[in-house]
Amino acid sequence: MNLLEGIFIALRSLATNKLRSILTLIGVIIGVMTVIAITSIIAGMNKYVADQLSAVGSDTFFIDKWGLIMSDDEWWEALKRKSITLEDMEAIGENCTYCDKVGASADTRRRVKRTGDHLEDVRISGVTANLIDIIDIKLEEGEGRYISKFEEEHNRAAAFVGWEIKDKLFPSVDPVGKEIKIGNQEFKIVGVAQKRGSFLGQSRDNFVHVPITAFFKHFGRRRYGRQLSVEIIVKAESFESINEAMDESRAILRARRRVPYDKKDDFGIMTAETLMDLYRQFTSTAYLTMIGISSIALVVGGIVIMNIMLVSVTQRTREIGIRKALGARKRDVLWQFLVESVTLALVGGIVGILLGLGTGKIVAMNSPLPASVDPLWIAIGLFLATSVGLAFGVYPAVKAARLDPIEALRYE
Amino acid sequence: MLIRTQDLWKIYEMGREKVNALREVSLEIEKGEYAAIMGPSGSGKSTLMNLIGCLDTPTKGDYYLNDKLVSQMNDDELARIRNKEIGFVFQTFNLLARATAAHNVELPLVYNGTESEVRKRKAREALKMVDLEDRATHKPNELSGGERQRVALARALVNNPALILADEPTGNLDTKTGHEIMNIFKKLHRQGNTLIIVTHEHDIATYADRIIYIRDGAIEKEERKKN
Ligand SMILES: Nc1ncnc2c1ncn2[C@@H]1O[C@H](COP(=O)(O)OP(=O)(O)OP(=O)(O)O)[C@@H](O)[C@H]1O
Ligand SMILES: [Mg+2]
Repeated sequence: MNLLEGIFIALRSLATNKLRSILTLIGVIIGVMTVIAITSIIAGMNKYVADQLSAVGSDTFFIDKWGLIMSDDEWWEALKRKSITLEDMEAIGENCTYCDKVGASADTRRRVKRTGDHLEDVRISGVTANLIDIIDIKLEEGEGRYISKFEEEHNRAAAFVGWEIKDKLFPSVDPVGKEIKIGNQEFKIVGVAQKRGSFLGQSRDNFVHVPITAFFKHFGRRRYGRQLSVEIIVKAESFESINEAMDESRAILRARRRVPYDKKDDFGIMTAETLMDLYRQFTSTAYLTMIGISSIALVVGGIVIMNIMLVSVTQRTREIGIRKALGARKRDVLWQFLVESVTLALVGGIVGILLGLGTGKIVAMNSPLPASVDPLWIAIGLFLATSVGLAFGVYPAVKAARLDPIEALRYE
Repeated sequence: MLIRTQDLWKIYEMGREKVNALREVSLEIEKGEYAAIMGPSGSGKSTLMNLIGCLDTPTKGDYYLNDKLVSQMNDDELARIRNKEIGFVFQTFNLLARATAAHNVELPLVYNGTESEVRKRKAREALKMVDLEDRATHKPNELSGGERQRVALARALVNNPALILADEPTGNLDTKTGHEIMNIFKKLHRQGNTLIIVTHEHDIATYADRIIYIRDGAIEKEERKKN
């Protein structure tokens, strides 16, 4: 009864002054909303990234000139490095005993045109034909094939296109066998990839793969006055031998690039695992940001609630006097005000949870992230709100409980 | 003996100045008595009532209620006495503005853990005693002054206390309404309740069997109705 009454008083005081209530609770709302929104988005990203990286396979690694660049200095240093070439790829292919397949790719961006229609800024990759055996490239059913070895060896102007190219440029016809213009060069479409969706607002379907030889022929071997650097993609014999394959490849490249034994690699090797590490680093930053924002918001929210409760105690001094005169003990009054402040904070917490879930939903609708909410985080959200209500409600409640009944009764 | 005070002192310290609100007040009141306390303004009537009502503790002296030494009790024990043994009626009614009449009457029962059902029944009975059953769902601002004081009376007697105290219960009412209230007190007295009321008005004081006059914090004289 007392509990219900306390909850009721708190809800009624919220309802009577809606604007003030929103202002009162905004801190708690933001604090809890941040927790729910960020954790649900990260949970969604976890699933997504796990899916994506599983396409790479734990027996596969990448070698490029850059590696994982974490600072400006590293970037300036990497800029000066020698390019990685197709010859490097061949050397690894010939000499690495633990490597099963070795491929390469190089990227640029071009306009892609079909009579009349065109797409700007499409990612064009020159690839080796074995790329489809190394990474998971899915073909749209009944829509042709990937780039062939023959086309790679004979610089053929063949193109394997992303789903968006078909969707935008060939909405009503089968694109296989048709011509498209990449830059100024005609290419014949040989196959279409399955739809991959978008990630963080970026479409992942507007790409074209062409034989790397044709790529060099038509888009040049040089970039900004330097030889174009390729990315080497290696599939080890098995998951167990990936470390040996990486060691061998590293030794081969160091020898070819004449890296002194006491110097670091002047190229980078990455596995799905290193990318996963990078991602984990990113999520832990996101978690830290979340903890930072939400704790500031919760403390601010708590202070506002404390102020509202102090005002409430003052306004209700006489009521407290009456209750004490009728037999309320200190702890009865204490509880009454604690219940009230916790109720206030919990209302904020519930609103925050709803808004956080809404934010997650909006992100889920606009990205392939399946924003999922662990009920644990909802419980944590409620727990945080309750704690704020308790922690910041104690001072006003103690103040109320300590009031002298006679003085409280005399209060005007 | 229901009430026995021995040399009660209440001294307020106002900076360097001391106010002797009560000086050596020794008083005995038996169960079933009806007493009125009179005296000029500032003579210490309310101070004495607050001590008897366990809202306050004396500076010096002993106070026994039902042979229990109340003047040495801690806050929680005093709260319990206020709840169980005492029903207080104030000049300014002191009802909870947001609560209905019935809920106001229930309030003392809330603080001794009475079940909701029982509370509702007892509140209804108490309101009946003061002829206000039909106002149970009214808020104080929907009641006249006299009705408010009757709600306060119902609240004071709902717990069936050993003692009902009223500090100028008619002070905020017109004469007619005041006498209506006093008639209810008379009824309560006939039913065996012990009553102490503070008043300025001789008319009102004559309802009691015994009038205690105080001046400057000390008992000046007493009168008993002869019958
Ligand atoms: N909290 C307090 N601090 C200081 N002095 C006080 C306090 N309460 C009462 N007094 C003083 O004690 C004296 C007795 O006050 P009390 O309220 O008991 O008078 P009273 O007889 O009830 O007067 P009235 O008829 O006006 O209600 C007065 O002089 C008053 O100023
Ligand atoms: Mg007085």
